[in-house]
Amino acid sequence: MSPSEPDTRDAVRVALDRVRTDGTYTAYLAAQNALAADPSGEPVRIAVLRNFTVEPILPVLEVELALSGLKASMYVGDFDAVAADALDPDGGLARSSPDVVILALWLEGLAPRLVGRFPSLTDDEVAAETQRVVGYVRDMLVGVRRSTNAPIIVNNFPLLGRPALGILDAQGEASQHGSILAIGRGLLGVARDMPDVFIADHLSVFANVGSSDGFDRKKWLHRRSPVGTVALAPLGREYARIIRALRGRVRKCVVVDCDDTLWGGVVGEDGPHGLALGEGPGAAYTALQRELLNLHDRGVLLAVCTKNNEADVLEVLDGHPEMLVRRSHLAAYRINWDDKASNLRAIASELNIGLDSMVFVDDSAFECGLVRESLPEVAVIHLDPAKGDLATQLTDPGWFDALITSSEDALRTAHFRAEATRRDIQSAASSLDEYLEHLGMVAEIEPASDATIPRIAQLTQKTNQFNLTTRRYTEADIRRYAESPSAEVLSMRLRDKVADLGIIAVAIVRYAGEMAEIDSFLMSCRALGRGAERVLFDEVCRRARERGCTRIGGVYLRTPKNEQVAGFYPSVGLGAEPADGPGVRFAAEIAGVRAAPSHINVVRGRHAEVVSS
Amino acid sequence: MRAAETQLKEVLSDVFGVEPSAIDDEASVDTIEKWDSLNHLKLVLALEERFGVSLNEEQITEMLNYPLVKAVLEEHGVEFS
Repeated sequence: MSPSEPDTRDAVRVALDRVRTDGTYTAYLAAQNALAADPSGEPVRIAVLRNFTVEPILPVLEVELALSGLKASMYVGDFDAVAADALDPDGGLARSSPDVVILALWLEGLAPRLVGRFPSLTDDEVAAETQRVVGYVRDMLVGVRRSTNAPIIVNNFPLLGRPALGILDAQGEASQHGSILAIGRGLLGVARDMPDVFIADHLSVFANVGSSDGFDRKKWLHRRSPVGTVALAPLGREYARIIRALRGRVRKCVVVDCDDTLWGGVVGEDGPHGLALGEGPGAAYTALQRELLNLHDRGVLLAVCTKNNEADVLEVLDGHPEMLVRRSHLAAYRINWDDKASNLRAIASELNIGLDSMVFVDDSAFECGLVRESLPEVAVIHLDPAKGDLATQLTDPGWFDALITSSEDALRTAHFRAEATRRDIQSAASSLDEYLEHLGMVAEIEPASDATIPRIAQLTQKTNQFNLTTRRYTEADIRRYAESPSAEVLSMRLRDKVADLGIIAVAIVRYAGEMAEIDSFLMSCRALGRGAERVLFDEVCRRARERGCTRIGGVYLRTPKNEQVAGFYPSVGLGAEPADGPGVRFAAEIAGVRAAPSHINVVRGRHAEVVSS
Repeated sequence: MRAAETQLKEVLSDVFGVEPSAIDDEASVDTIEKWDSLNHLKLVLALEERFGVSLNEEQITEMLNYPLVKAVLEEHGVEFS
């Protein structure tokens, strides 16, 4: 009997719920079996090259990716055939055309003497071994890069827990642990010299679970399977977190409850001075607030959603001496008696972000259940003091992991605060046009450079709504376009009287004879509603003309999120044309394109003159 | 605490993707399709997690059907009444 589709979905839902609540290795195995019958999710092809038995980890990786809406398919290279896989440009790796490559290495397999016979080595031999391992990994990375441009994840190495020299190991420079850390530093150097190479932090994962439980010596010796049961899930999650970030599945906003979450106690009953905060019984809540501020500093937006009287909560936020999170840290708040699902929707629309960018944190099982039911896109963290430290419960799921901590991210929160000031200007101006004039906007448009490429790649990965083609690019992809003589990558930075929004829009254009073909055209949603996209489009046309093009065109590729740009090309004067590929195609003579509105001044390049557009 | 037998059947069911009721004394590498060598390793890891035991290589290689899995766990003090 083959199960019908709703049955499959149901089985998957139950299995994923079990992973969320119990998180054991067995739960992951069961969920993987349930997922095998469910083809839904955005596909991601993963190739794993390895010198140890990685298979037990893969179910965790697959299930964790499914929790973020990704459907993994795996190519696993033959055991200990890393070099053969990496160095054969026509081999299985290249044929698997991966989206991500994992190079999974176990140090004892690479350097048996360094791990197993350390006391037999002289200091010079230790140094040579260390360099040899780093050189080997570099060679493998270069080899993989010849077969594919996909991002590569390589791991650093955990400490052994029991170094061969015993207490002596900690006393000298040329120690066993010292050499393992030196290899890790060497790998980092190699990774930073190559585009799109990322480190899976085995060192931290095993430090966290403990090496005596995390290593399974018996299974390493007999089956080359070194990862102990307690480390399987954390290790799989580590890879999932990186891949999630690579695919732009990054949560941008954390919405927290107040009573028994931001502070201990209920402000409406205990009063501001009866709350548990600071030292003593309130220490756990203060620690949680510290972690929230860390997220804030990393560019995550903070918001508050609580059922309370607004005056009570604002009194605590503004006046309680032990509060760390203040009103000025909040990008938005909803303090009322409405249901939390409606409030979350309102916060999402106020901040111009998707529900799938939000994480909701609450101590109430009821509220968490309600949000899970009615807004399944929102990630929910149910804080439970019985499950241990609150701050750890906030950070452990890794919802806010990002691979790029660009200064752009830190600008974001400042931006949303400035938005409030703008609203005041708006109410003073009599029309939207007047308001936009008052803002004194300046757009800085320039070709991609080393300084801007990380942010450009990040925007292609994170932008969902105002994005004509939703093509995701890595830094290496962007660099290739930027260096190509027949293509151009433009970024636009926007500032106004109130704030600097940073780089908020990207256009990628290919030039072919008379045709300027737009490959990507996207803008961060926080710059919506100002006509800035028209300014960038104008500039694209201007540069195309300079290159001798007479026509401009592009496609619109529909996704569940980019409905709002379906009419963008027609709005600037492009007409529909038959498409020879996917999507709806538009094109026009450049001379016939509508000019951008005049309320934004354009600056070209870094030292270019100011030109009113 | 649920009976060890129930828990054991649940683990096999989770690992091999079959109903717990399909696990009986006849269940073995020959009757369960997904009981291959890689899934055998996952079974071992799942058993170690669920029952808090550490199996040795000899036990791992010999427990190729349900009664033998039970016997190995019994050697580690798990009681099947």
